[in-house]
Amino acid sequence: MTIMKDLPMPPVAGSPPAGMPSPREHLMSPRTQAVLKIQQALVAGARAVLSGEGAVELFQPLIGPVTDPGARGAKQVDVDYYGHRYKLMASAILYKQASLVAFDKVFFIAPNVRLEPLETSATHRHLAEFHQIDVEFAGASRDDAIALAERVVRGAVRHAVTAQGDALRLLGRDTATLEAFVAEPFKVVRHGDVIRQLGGAHGDGTEIEWPAEERLSGQASAPFFIVDYPKGSRGFYDKEDPARPSTLMSFDLIAPESCGEICSGGERESNYARIVTRMRETGENPAKYAWYLDIVRQGIPGSAGFGIGLERLTRWVAGLGSVWEASAYPKVPGVVSP
Amino acid sequence: MSALRAPGFPEQDIRRRAREGAAAVFPPAGEYGITVFGADTTAPRDGIDRYRLVPPVFMPRRLEKLIDLGREPVYADVALESSFGGLHSPLPMFVSALGSTKAASAGAALARQAGRAALPMVIGENVAPVSGLRAGWHMSLLERITAYLEELPAADGGLVVQQSTEDANAEVWNSVYTDPAVLGLMESGRLAFELKVGQGAKPGLGGLTMVDDDTAQRLAEQYVMKRLAPGTVLRASSPGTFTTEILRQQVHMMRNNYPRARCWVKLHPGRDIAQAAVVAWQAGADAVTVDGAEGGTGLAPSVFLGDVGLPLHECLRRLGQLRRPEQPGQLGQPGQPAGSLLANGRVADGARAVKLLALGARAVGIGRAALVAVDEDPDRGLLRFTESVALEMQLLISALGKYAATDPGPEDLWHPGEPGEPAAALARPEPMETLA
Repeated sequence: MTIMKDLPMPPVAGSPPAGMPSPREHLMSPRTQAVLKIQQALVAGARAVLSGEGAVELFQPLIGPVTDPGARGAKQVDVDYYGHRYKLMASAILYKQASLVAFDKVFFIAPNVRLEPLETSATHRHLAEFHQIDVEFAGASRDDAIALAERVVRGAVRHAVTAQGDALRLLGRDTATLEAFVAEPFKVVRHGDVIRQLGGAHGDGTEIEWPAEERLSGQASAPFFIVDYPKGSRGFYDKEDPARPSTLMSFDLIAPESCGEICSGGERESNYARIVTRMRETGENPAKYAWYLDIVRQGIPGSAGFGIGLERLTRWVAGLGSVWEASAYPKVPGVVSP
Repeated sequence: MSALRAPGFPEQDIRRRAREGAAAVFPPAGEYGITVFGADTTAPRDGIDRYRLVPPVFMPRRLEKLIDLGREPVYADVALESSFGGLHSPLPMFVSALGSTKAASAGAALARQAGRAALPMVIGENVAPVSGLRAGWHMSLLERITAYLEELPAADGGLVVQQSTEDANAEVWNSVYTDPAVLGLMESGRLAFELKVGQGAKPGLGGLTMVDDDTAQRLAEQYVMKRLAPGTVLRASSPGTFTTEILRQQVHMMRNNYPRARCWVKLHPGRDIAQAAVVAWQAGADAVTVDGAEGGTGLAPSVFLGDVGLPLHECLRRLGQLRRPEQPGQLGQPGQPAGSLLANGRVADGARAVKLLALGARAVGIGRAALVAVDEDPDRGLLRFTESVALEMQLLISALGKYAATDPGPEDLWHPGEPGEPAAALARPEPMETLA
């Protein structure tokens, strides 16, 4: 094999989205400053709810031999760890499950890195580097996790309205509208019903495509949950409903105003043999997950949990056009930025 | 021409095609008038070779073409342009995966010629992890992709990137799907991913290559290594475990994770191949490639080549027994598989290609033939080879009174007959004219 001498540099895949300022302009903008203050209030609100429920906040590892393989088409980032190939965390799901052998209720508020496909630079809702409020409760059911996610989002929004009303008003966000969004219980719809409603190209076993999800979100008058995603759309750790094969006990929380999904979760699989089998169904090699499978084989509690995308939550609450506005140092997929 | 050898394969014929192009379809010009020619009975023959293409006397399809054209149709009226697996090609042919054998070191030259010919090209397993896209991990893969794209016209063709069970460790698909190099292909619908369930040369085994001691050390964490002799280490991949549900869900996962890439599935010639193909099609695969036990560019234990796996002929017979799902108002035809079927295995000339189309394949893969042709002439060998095969296919299909690559069917084949396998079993009723 000859080594190609002039390997082309990656073409500039993404030019920065329209209206994206320079890093200095972005940081100095009163809008950005207001957004970041709202974000901090959201974190404080979420933390208060979770702590109030007795959950222990842990720090998530930044690197590990494996990370969450469930990210749709995204590339993981390799790290050379003394000659071993490690990964930057794409999500803490495996660590959340493992941590339940120490505490019954855990949460992380931590950064994740996913090199998303370049097409996501135009979705207004993908960042290559972002943060999650990642929660897992032992012994919880899917319905428990849905109820908890709703409490966390409601608590975070109400705290932001109380603590950062001025910042929200600076952005032109009507706080009464925001409060109204979270006043009523969130509705729950089934994935199959959504697919039937969408019709067209959406087949069995498929995810809801991003543009379709944005449309659904645009038509919603309040946040709502979609439940029962099909197997083949999520990672191996989401539990398959024993009563309904091929249906996962999973959920997404969809924000209104065309913001789309802001949270994913589900009841988890904790049975060793079923996890190994599901790894194969998702094309994963169980050998990669040795440390995790060792813990699972010795027994982990059944659990349910979720991850809330902090920048997405912020985008919705602050009424922003794009998720990049909700980060001090945004990494839009494919755009070279600090 | 290098030291590349292809024993048991019509290597000399391919080399001549790679040198002479369309002229190689006929006996050498210097021999015309002084030599008498007849069928060569010495070449090794398998079940596909033993078929003969049998033109009828009465050709209602030719009449249709005559009416369409307003003149007598000729061979050049056969349209070979084909669509398969979501891609378009000037002829029903694609370049198969070549794997990571040293013999495939012509990868970049091959990619360049395949690109120029606008033939869809599969890039094989192990290219990424062994030859190790960007940042050092996938350099060889990126090199082949770049070489192909540099020559590829604006329409037709496409890249099919294969991933096997162990390649998943190296996240080949994720790396390709997020790389700026393939953005144009993705936007023009010319990127596909192929799930490698198995391969024809070693059904039931994973990828095997011989590596040197240094490479063995570097890859020891990823593969099983067995030192066979000083400096010669066998590197073995696990074959991967599949059940009906695992295959179905892996296809779903491909469609969900890579919605803008076409989904191909490559199967080894297993005895349940028909069931496996149906699972893949029903899960939404755009194409299923059947690799007959005759195929192979890479390393396989000799015993596997001689004794293991269904011949391609038998694979296609089993698949041909499937019917297309019933469409409203239209019944399926016997001999037509239930989805887009691609066939690999010993394809080296137009006759075998047309026979495979007649047995239900939408396109045929070339592996060894492509390697030998590029070895003969790194600049134009594959182009001349495909030119010769395309001419043969036009001649053959027109002789059958048909004018499109999708037209040949089981009625165009005659088999001398083997116990339990009469050729008649394949035949479908001949369309008859009403005699006035």
